Amino acid sequence: MATAVATASRAQRGLPRILRSPTTARILFPFVVLGIWYFIYYTLDSRIFPSPQQVAVFMWEEITLTSGVRYSSVAENLYVQFGITLMRLTIGFFIALIVGTIIGLAMGVSKKVDAFFHDWVMGLLAMPALVYALFLGLALGFTNVGPIIAVVLAGAPFVIINIREGVRNTPKELIDMARSFEVPQNKVTRHVLLPSLMPFFFAAIRYAYAVGWKGLVITEVFASDRGMGWTIKFWYDAHRAHGVIGYALFFIIFALALEKLVFDPLADRAFKWRPKMDAVQMAEGDFGGVQREGFLFIEDQEIEEGADTTVAKGGNF
Amino acid sequence: VATTVEHRAPEARSAEEERLLALRKRETRQRWFWRIAGYVFFLAAWEMLSRIIGPNLLPGPVRIAQTIPELIASGRFFSSFAATLTRIGIGFGLAFLVGIVIGILTQSRWWHGFFRDSVTTSLVSPSLIWALTGLVIWGFEPQGWIFAIVMTTFAVVTINVAEGIRALPRDLIDMSRAFGVTNWRRQREIVFPFLAPFVFTALRFGFSVGWKVTVLTEVFSSNEGIGFEMRVAQQLFRMDEFFAWAISFFIFALFLEKVVLQRSERRFFRWRQEVAS
Repeated sequence: MATAVATASRAQRGLPRILRSPTTARILFPFVVLGIWYFIYYTLDSRIFPSPQQVAVFMWEEITLTSGVRYSSVAENLYVQFGITLMRLTIGFFIALIVGTIIGLAMGVSKKVDAFFHDWVMGLLAMPALVYALFLGLALGFTNVGPIIAVVLAGAPFVIINIREGVRNTPKELIDMARSFEVPQNKVTRHVLLPSLMPFFFAAIRYAYAVGWKGLVITEVFASDRGMGWTIKFWYDAHRAHGVIGYALFFIIFALALEKLVFDPLADRAFKWRPKMDAVQMAEGDFGGVQREGFLFIEDQEIEEGADTTVAKGGNF
Repeated sequence: VATTVEHRAPEARSAEEERLLALRKRETRQRWFWRIAGYVFFLAAWEMLSRIIGPNLLPGPVRIAQTIPELIASGRFFSSFAATLTRIGIGFGLAFLVGIVIGILTQSRWWHGFFRDSVTTSLVSPSLIWALTGLVIWGFEPQGWIFAIVMTTFAVVTINVAEGIRALPRDLIDMSRAFGVTNWRRQREIVFPFLAPFVFTALRFGFSVGWKVTVLTEVFSSNEGIGFEMRVAQQLFRMDEFFAWAISFFIFALFLEKVVLQRSERRFFRWRQEVAS
């Protein structure tokens, strides 16, 4: 099959071949989106719908701080807003990681603990961020505490489930063998236990960060007076579509940058010791994004575990 | 002789089996004990917390359970459910179609390249930005919330369908190509039947994302439905009503997702060994 395709594509030369390459399609996509945007712009009878230039100008002014918009006395520009959100996200993320790891380890080791927590963790996992966003806004007012709790509530269940799966998947026969050859415990931990836990831990980090962020921005809309979520709501309330779309694009850029600059290189480093598996997945041109790692690891268990772990795959806000 | 052998063998096994069975039974009993203990603990903790910080701000489980019949008596309960379910039906239905079509298109490397960035973007971005963008452009018109639901949900459907595409039986496809079977027939007779269970999984995962974003759009742009009722109850500081709305719909959605969809998935595909697990 592979050879057939290769000869076929080699037979085409010049322009048709370039046009048929997936890379061309990939480059083409943003232009098609832009075309649709212009189409809507010229057909939609709306005074507020912005043209792409308007949004680009708005974004440029926000980046260079020349727009003259001051949001509030504390967080007056884009960078401060994003910084506040990042700070909340990081604090909440570490709390979620610690709490989640402890509960996840306990659930993986003991069946009793697992039965105790299981349904409640699954319930929290499926809970929309909106519910605790609206509640936290009332309960705690517009402080940093509400958004941080939101990150913990959104992220911890993902950490718990992934760590639990990691513990369950430790290679029992390797540990048994190490015991029979009297390998010291710290060596077993370092060479067997940690490496087998590593991918699950990494998936946990990735999920908790992504989901925590999604929960956080919703919470910032209802339970904060600053931060990224609040800023896009600011433009929505002001009924300025170019502001909303501009910030939506900032959100997307932020999320993609986090993926490509932080998590992808981290994944490469964390899995250097592993043979091919990930490389194969990537070479196939897998859809990138948050889901990839989780996909890979949660899927194996799906077959034996059935229902509950699979939630993690679609879990999203 | 034959009868004695036959007679003895099952008996010997059944003793072993019985021991295993008893062990498993004990394990199940233990599991249930701890499960119930978990429920008791968390519900009691919730009730305690409610007493400490005040039942008006955080109503306990008992009070919420009492509020649900009140909401049903007021007549708004079922109409709100109906409004939200209609929205889910339209918005998620469309997202599901879009997701499947894109997923099937990814068989071709060209379309895969074309859509891959859109799928990544949709997966990493929060539903909030699509909700606000759709609503600021189209206001209360249906296009606004349909846009939000489709943009948030289609990628979840697509990646599950694409998963199926990746597992397609290559040999069958190659053979059909070699024998000159038309593309449409190949799709209809090999690809679609093979994808069926993956599509079902896509439906389940898509739904779990879809209902949440639907409720979120209702908060911003609706005058009926669960999201709207939640928002109003919160603004009027009727937290018992707020939690009653949130939890009743939450349980309903979980029931649809975990029980209805998952059960029917297992039933439909019991005949397929690689799917039935």
